[in-house]
Amino acid sequence: MKAHLNRIFPPLLGLLCGIGLGLLYSWQISPVAYIDADPSILRADFKDQYRIVIAAAYDATRDLPRARARLELLGGDPIGELSAQAQRMLAGGEPSERVKPLAQLAADLRQGAASLPPENPTVTKAPFAGAPFTPLPNIAATETPALAEFTAETEFQPEAPILSTPSFEQTPLSPQEFSTPTPRPTFTPTQSVNAPFILVSQDTICDPALPPGLMQFMLIDARRKQVAGIQIIVTWDKGEDRFFTGFKPEIGDGYADFIMQADTVYNIRIVEGGTFAPNISAPICGGDAPFLGGLLLTFQQP
Amino acid sequence: MNWSNWFKFLAALAIGAAAGLVYGWLISPVEYTDAPPNILRADYRADYALMTAEAYQKDRDADAAARRLALLGSEPPAQIAASALQYATDNGFTQNEILALQGLLNAMQTYQPQESALP
Repeated sequence: MKAHLNRIFPPLLGLLCGIGLGLLYSWQISPVAYIDADPSILRADFKDQYRIVIAAAYDATRDLPRARARLELLGGDPIGELSAQAQRMLAGGEPSERVKPLAQLAADLRQGAASLPPENPTVTKAPFAGAPFTPLPNIAATETPALAEFTAETEFQPEAPILSTPSFEQTPLSPQEFSTPTPRPTFTPTQSVNAPFILVSQDTICDPALPPGLMQFMLIDARRKQVAGIQIIVTWDKGEDRFFTGFKPEIGDGYADFIMQADTVYNIRIVEGGTFAPNISAPICGGDAPFLGGLLLTFQQP
Repeated sequence: MNWSNWFKFLAALAIGAAAGLVYGWLISPVEYTDAPPNILRADYRADYALMTAEAYQKDRDADAAARRLALLGSEPPAQIAASALQYATDNGFTQNEILALQGLLNAMQTYQPQESALP
């Protein structure tokens, strides 16, 4: 028995020591060096920065499928992550100009269509087939569904944004011997996307289950669709608060809320369109046991 | 221990070390979860630079563009933009994308860092 142990023990000990040394070297001393990483393993703060740049690029190009594909590279739920980051940035005192592209992108992803065309005419939307990831098969596989969505989106005319400026392509005309007057395109007035929101209803909410003084906003466009990414400014005698609609998608894309204090008068301004609603205050509800109620303000574009 | 046992020990040690290395490098390598952006693969770096270029086309804010490019590493922003442009040219990016990167490169070549309130 002892002789048998003497035969087995040295190689067994050597094997265990060898495995230990091998793992020590490969995990600690010289681990696999990542030099071709993908964005999903970035540190959280770098992912935040990456999202800001994605939103800034989207703000310029309005290429929603590409923005979606880029966000999917970071992993997680793109809309949820965008909304959460926008809220963190607002809470951290970031200027609204930096936050709005994130909120806008989150809202557009939720709606499945770009809400506004590019503001800068020099920025042109590149064909999606030319995406930089296409040479790589694993990424191309990720983008294929997005391309399908893009096609579906462009074919879905009723959801296309309403523009105030008509656009048409002028076909080069060949010289004609007998020129006949061609009817010129006529300007058809259409609804502007920046039409001011109008306060269409102000309902008192007396629900003890809700937080006292809860002021709820619901912003709806002319097609009765909720609108996200609209900045609201609430001012009162001692301060001011700014926030956007769409940060609570579980309630509604056009929803936002604010907590009022008792005996305080608030002025509301919807930044887009410049609507102003003065002298708003929290109602008192209940007869025998009064409590601070809430308000539901509904704004709609005409 | 006699020579025979030493030989067995060293042979097993070598086999074990090889097995450990295979496991640690190939089967279950260290997984990075908090990586810095400077190790991004070239196509992701180029796409990040392209996003910066697209944003720059709209806002014309060279300072913001330089800050965004700085995320990719310690090289000068112009060098990062030049690398991205080279990648785009070699890998069939569209003309619009190449023009955007060219515009960014031009801006970064003449960019002078300024004091800024933003990081």
